[in-house]
Amino acid sequence: MNSLIKLELTRALRNRKFLFFSVIYPSVLFLIIAGNAHSTTKVPGTGLTLPTYMMVSMASFGALTAVLLGNSERIAKEREGGWVRQLRLTTLPGRGYVLAKTASAAVVSLPSIVIVFVVAATVKDVRLDAWQWLALTGAVWAGSLVFAALGVAIGYLATGDAVRPITMIIYFGLSMLGGLWMPTTTFPGWLQDIVQWLPTHAYAALGQAIEQSRAPHVQDLAVLVVSFALFAGGAAWLYRKDTLKA
Amino acid sequence: MALLGPNGAGKSTTLDLLLGLKNPDSGTVRLFGTSPRDAIVAGRVGAMLQSGGLMDEVTVAELVRLACDLHPKPYRPSEVLSRAGIAQLADRKVHKLSGGQAQRVRFALATAGDSDLIVLDEPTTGMDVTTRQAFWATMREQADQGRTVLFATHYLEEADAIADRVLVLHRGRLLADGTAAEIKAKAGARRVSFDLEGTVDEPALRALPFLTSLAVSGQTVRIQSSDADATVHALYGLGLYPRNLEVAGLGLEQAFVAITTAEEAKSK
Repeated sequence: MNSLIKLELTRALRNRKFLFFSVIYPSVLFLIIAGNAHSTTKVPGTGLTLPTYMMVSMASFGALTAVLLGNSERIAKEREGGWVRQLRLTTLPGRGYVLAKTASAAVVSLPSIVIVFVVAATVKDVRLDAWQWLALTGAVWAGSLVFAALGVAIGYLATGDAVRPITMIIYFGLSMLGGLWMPTTTFPGWLQDIVQWLPTHAYAALGQAIEQSRAPHVQDLAVLVVSFALFAGGAAWLYRKDTLKA
Repeated sequence: MALLGPNGAGKSTTLDLLLGLKNPDSGTVRLFGTSPRDAIVAGRVGAMLQSGGLMDEVTVAELVRLACDLHPKPYRPSEVLSRAGIAQLADRKVHKLSGGQAQRVRFALATAGDSDLIVLDEPTTGMDVTTRQAFWATMREQADQGRTVLFATHYLEEADAIADRVLVLHRGRLLADGTAAEIKAKAGARRVSFDLEGTVDEPALRALPFLTSLAVSGQTVRIQSSDADATVHALYGLGLYPRNLEVAGLGLEQAFVAITTAEEAKSK
């Protein structure tokens, strides 16, 4: 299985377009959004400066891009093309394919997180304690697993033609409404009440809690755990259905 | 060993069942005394699917190396590449291959290790005549190393030319199992043709022994017989003097048509 992970990674690293969007793009977007903001401008109700707040949003966004975009489309297409069937004729265990996809996405998402942090710290003077940097990296990275599972589920749900629009709608919807591009505090009240239940909102809130040096809200943790259970369970169910059908 | 049948005969379904890609509605499939999955995990089976997808954006060499890594008794990737005749394509990206080249890459994936059984579903689809013949030689090589090569095909020529054993499948049922020669024999192996002078007495000819089919056009009589020697002997016994007598073997193609039409007539 390691050889499949290695090959998936080689392939991901060779794809310049994908690398740009998942690794470089979040940092660029961070600079555009936080670029003009003064390093001391506060986001209302959080006690965090705008750059600090947006750093977590963009790191989460980058990780989301890396784990969601590539996998859902690849899985749907490779399922249709018959590569998944061909792999079933090898010693690779059934889940190996999905695990390899997730693992390679996780490897690509790590630099996209770290690069946003480095850019924020050097260009916008974001300062945090050492434990906060480490915890933040770990939390954003681990949290991306929720969306990796979502990517797999979409890949097994959608057909090769439909997978891109479906992924895009979910991706942009989750990013925008979850407050990864702008703080949800700028949304009208009724919308805020709804979007706080989105996994992307909980995801970014987890990172912001670490920046504020406080324990994360139970609600956010619960949303993430339930989402993960839902996506992973759905992916597993769809995977089994697909295996029986093929 | 060829699994021969027209499109829709159930060849791919049979192979899918054999490889554990599909589950039978009833009964069980055993391969080497175990489940298909266990046989694959033990490295006893290598398989290539009909237009089975490949991983794109990787090179041929990388893909073959992956197949070797996944096989319990692998060959060296370079060996596998050259045996499949694609050493010169090693650095080519998989999605830039032609149909015939992709088939060879699939064949390489199926022969990445020392398997006892190699299953190939329509392996020469998309190949021109020359590449097809070169490919047959590659398949033959695998069989000469003592392993069973089971391939599905709807090209009779292919089954006739390289298979030691032919299974004829039609509408999901096994109609014949034997060497290409035996299958031809089963269908009425030989074709006898001759000219007669005067009026042709059709009922008398129809009563000839071992006759499987009779066609009279003018003075020319065409017969298919499962024992041409006996039929011709009886012909002289009728006091007839056939001219331009020809006895020829039936092609597998005609045999195949004969077997499947006989079966269709039976089911009606």
